[in-house]
Amino acid sequence: MAAIDEYINAITERAVEEARQEGAAAVEAQHLLLAVAAGQDPATRRVLASAGLDEQAIRAALEREFEHSLSAAGVSLSGFRLPRPSPALDRPKLGASAKLALERGFASVSRKRDLRPAHLLLGVLLAEAGTVPRALALAGVEAAELAAAVRRELPA
Amino acid sequence: MSGEDIPAVSDPADALAAVAALRRLADRLEDAAVEQAMRSGWSWPQVAEALGVTRQAVHKKHARRLIAAGVKLRRR
Repeated sequence: MAAIDEYINAITERAVEEARQEGAAAVEAQHLLLAVAAGQDPATRRVLASAGLDEQAIRAALEREFEHSLSAAGVSLSGFRLPRPSPALDRPKLGASAKLALERGFASVSRKRDLRPAHLLLGVLLAEAGTVPRALALAGVEAAELAAAVRRELPA
Repeated sequence: MSGEDIPAVSDPADALAAVAALRRLADRLEDAAVEQAMRSGWSWPQVAEALGVTRQAVHKKHARRLIAAGVKLRRR
């Protein structure tokens, strides 16, 4: 298996585990982002670090986005004091936002052999709406600017 | 933008994100609440009726997870 396939598999598996731990019904773009941030690709890490992001910062931003979006509906998480549920056993399926992120990453190269790990991050960052760009904005990061930074890291 | 603000939901992006967040919260609450009820000795039909879904639906969605977590489940 080519190195890029191994990377994509590893990131997808980690994203599945993120979703499962969270009790999410599906793997979404934010789980891919967490997996990418936890990965070891140097170019990806450089770009994220340049925006002050690592796995922990992204996790915090996602939690903030969750609370912020709930508050728009007048709901506060502090009002719920149920115990944390046991994690699901079933493997969450790839959700719509994760599929889009992967498709956008793959579509950003014309030949598959040009695909690099950072293209996965690029695919996640190309979403104009949804949880990821909102969470990044709350962390003071523009997804589109970060996407441009990824493109600069990648070979032309 | 401050996370502490409670904005009027005039922005479609905020309104749509609220829907997505509420769905996620409802899923989490269901997992926690069903587990809590079954640990307290509720039966599947009682939990199903309380949630307004069929017994089969609630069983299919939660039984494996709760058995793996060691929750003692009532048969009926």
